[in-house]
Amino acid sequence: MDPIATVKDGFNQVAKRQKHYHTISQAVTDGAFEGFVESLVQILTKNDPKTVLTELKLKLDSLLPINHLQESQKETNTSLTKFEKVLGKSDMFPASRSIDLDHQLVDKMLVEYFYRQGLFEVGELLIKEAEVEVDDQLSEAIARSLEIRRVTEPLKEKDTEPAMRWISENRENLKEEASKLEMELVSLKYWEMLRQRKRSEALRFARAHFPKFASLHSVKIRKLIVALLWVRDLENYPHSEELFPLGWDKASRELTKQYYNLHGQPSSSLLAVALSAGVESLPRLLKLVRVMGLENEEWGEMKQLPVDLELGDEFRFHSVFVCPVSREQSDEYNPPMMMPCRHVLCKETILRLCKCCSTRRFKCPYCPAYTTAAACRQLYI
Amino acid sequence: MEIDDPVTNGNTDAVMTESTPPFTPSPPVPASRLSQLTESLKLEHQLLRVPFEHYKKTIRANHRYLEKEVTSVVSSVGDLADNNWSKDVTVSRLTSLVSRLQGLKRKLEEGSNVENLQAQRCRARIDHLDSADAENITEWNNTKLKRILVDYMLRMSYFETASKLSESCNILDLVDIDIFREAKKVIDALKRREVAPALAWCADNKTRLKKSKSKFEFQLRLQEFIELVRADSYKQAIHYARKHLTPCGATHMDELQRVLATLAFKSTTECTKYKVLFELGQWDILVHQFKQEFCKLYGMTMETLLNIYLQAGLSALKTPYGFEEGCTKEDPLSQESFRKLALPLPYSKQEHSKLVCYISKELMDTENPPLVFPNGYVYSTKPLKEMADKNGGEVKCPRTGLVCNYTDLVKAYIS
Repeated sequence: MDPIATVKDGFNQVAKRQKHYHTISQAVTDGAFEGFVESLVQILTKNDPKTVLTELKLKLDSLLPINHLQESQKETNTSLTKFEKVLGKSDMFPASRSIDLDHQLVDKMLVEYFYRQGLFEVGELLIKEAEVEVDDQLSEAIARSLEIRRVTEPLKEKDTEPAMRWISENRENLKEEASKLEMELVSLKYWEMLRQRKRSEALRFARAHFPKFASLHSVKIRKLIVALLWVRDLENYPHSEELFPLGWDKASRELTKQYYNLHGQPSSSLLAVALSAGVESLPRLLKLVRVMGLENEEWGEMKQLPVDLELGDEFRFHSVFVCPVSREQSDEYNPPMMMPCRHVLCKETILRLCKCCSTRRFKCPYCPAYTTAAACRQLYI
Repeated sequence: MEIDDPVTNGNTDAVMTESTPPFTPSPPVPASRLSQLTESLKLEHQLLRVPFEHYKKTIRANHRYLEKEVTSVVSSVGDLADNNWSKDVTVSRLTSLVSRLQGLKRKLEEGSNVENLQAQRCRARIDHLDSADAENITEWNNTKLKRILVDYMLRMSYFETASKLSESCNILDLVDIDIFREAKKVIDALKRREVAPALAWCADNKTRLKKSKSKFEFQLRLQEFIELVRADSYKQAIHYARKHLTPCGATHMDELQRVLATLAFKSTTECTKYKVLFELGQWDILVHQFKQEFCKLYGMTMETLLNIYLQAGLSALKTPYGFEEGCTKEDPLSQESFRKLALPLPYSKQEHSKLVCYISKELMDTENPPLVFPNGYVYSTKPLKEMADKNGGEVKCPRTGLVCNYTDLVKAYIS
């Protein structure tokens, strides 16, 4: 059953019981209050205090079934304990090995992360509060984030000027990327003008900027110009999505990536990458620890994790070849080998298949072709 | 999400008349989301537990208060009725009871408001957990990242930064800045060798501490006793012991005896058994104990979330290639500090081949299959095709410089 629904149910129960309790207690207090006021009035209007009071006492006794209150309390309490059980215990303990995190280093990385994300004030506060030593490396990183922000921030307002300027300044380093990005930005700007129905302005803009891309993107330019006829009905322009492979957001991100690439820096904060990898992999890791019945420290002492933690493709930085037969990762001692039938196995598997005799024929596990070990080529991935 | 609705499944043509009762079966939750939710719940225990503890405490406190007031009011009435007071006295007594009831009512309302706020907090968090689905998963993970950072900063006591970050990212509802501030006050006081805030904290959380059979309060009292002995105020020490240490003495007799024996020694004693008790390091032990109790109370881990996730992430990212010289800068393991951290961690295991093209840095797959040069070097199709188009059908291997025709390249089948 959906665990969150169970939690929600449990919590709703608690809230309901508590509300019930409150209605009872309110009723009780109100009733008592009225009774008191009434008796007071009666006494003041000359009735015998004693009888009035005995009346009041009887009234209170009937009105205040303390049992009622207590029962309601008990009910709330049981629902509270039940909810606690639903919440269960924290499951993170198996994964919490204590390692010596160098706090100063982490703080520096945090500052860099905040600046990269555009959270400048937070970064400044952190420098102050954590007394981060702003050495050359860090101040460079900060300066870089500020610079790229100046270029990408205007893109949010659909102002492409600073970005275009930056691209032309760094054209030779960017090489082909430059023209791709420029084309994207120019077409986005043009489209924006069309959206705002500024036809003549758009046309002027197109005349000024499109010609230099004529050789590479002629089809696209043609489509963009024809869109002039659709100014009043731009959303229905056929295939308009194909014109902008990136869009404003992605273009901005691509610019940032290129910028950091030029400076030989990673395109996103390494701390963020590592943490995101952790967020993706921790559930499986915990499951592994649980299933294997490992203690706190033990999972860290393994040489290699026994299970693939299945990170997303964005965390794939290196090529890895895993032999489909032996399920081993290839390395320099056990490289991938391609057979004449184009299927690829690792060297050890091939040796095993041909029983270490390089002239003995063996059949490829994936197709009917026979081959020898000598006929296989080593691949360099 | 597949909605397998057996009732309407063949009746889509049938007109949904008013006679058919509106039957909305809850759609069966697909397995992937189910496991994701279960795991997410386990990992986020801390998120839900903290507001819930506060909520529970308020509820119980309100219960106790009401019960006490009501019983006392009733008994006062009974008292009045039984005895024969004069009219004026009765009237004045009754009026005071009336105003007491008014006060009770007001307090009940206030209590109810506080409870509602706390319940709202709990609900907001449960909803947040529920809101994670396939469409907004990047956004949700981004929020999670910020939460992890806030947790780190709170534990390091960077309160202003944590508040600013939470405000900027709209996660104030999901973080518990206040309890950490309180904890800091207690810890600072303990570092100054003052026991009062810690004792107040214990009193505040008495029921919970008792349930977990915590020795913390006892340890605090012992330490105060030792301080009194250190200051040579023996009489006060004995008095203190009589008042505070004897109640829990029965359960912790050994320790009690040991500490009481310090009366016989001066604080500068050389006897190792008792010297250790006088050392200032004892206060650090107390601080550590407090942190443990605090974390246990709120279901938190002793390590920062950052620590835990970082380790998991580094292990998942750790490959032998990450330690090579020419490793790409995008891999966190290319940085020296991460390499050091990752050293004791296990390598990740890959179960499927994933090839990253040297030229385009993109993954090779069926749409972009690997092509092999005559010398065995492998690249993906797209950049090679582009290269061929620009150079009249010729391609050059970037790593070895070998030039050949695009048609000489061979497609490899890698599963």
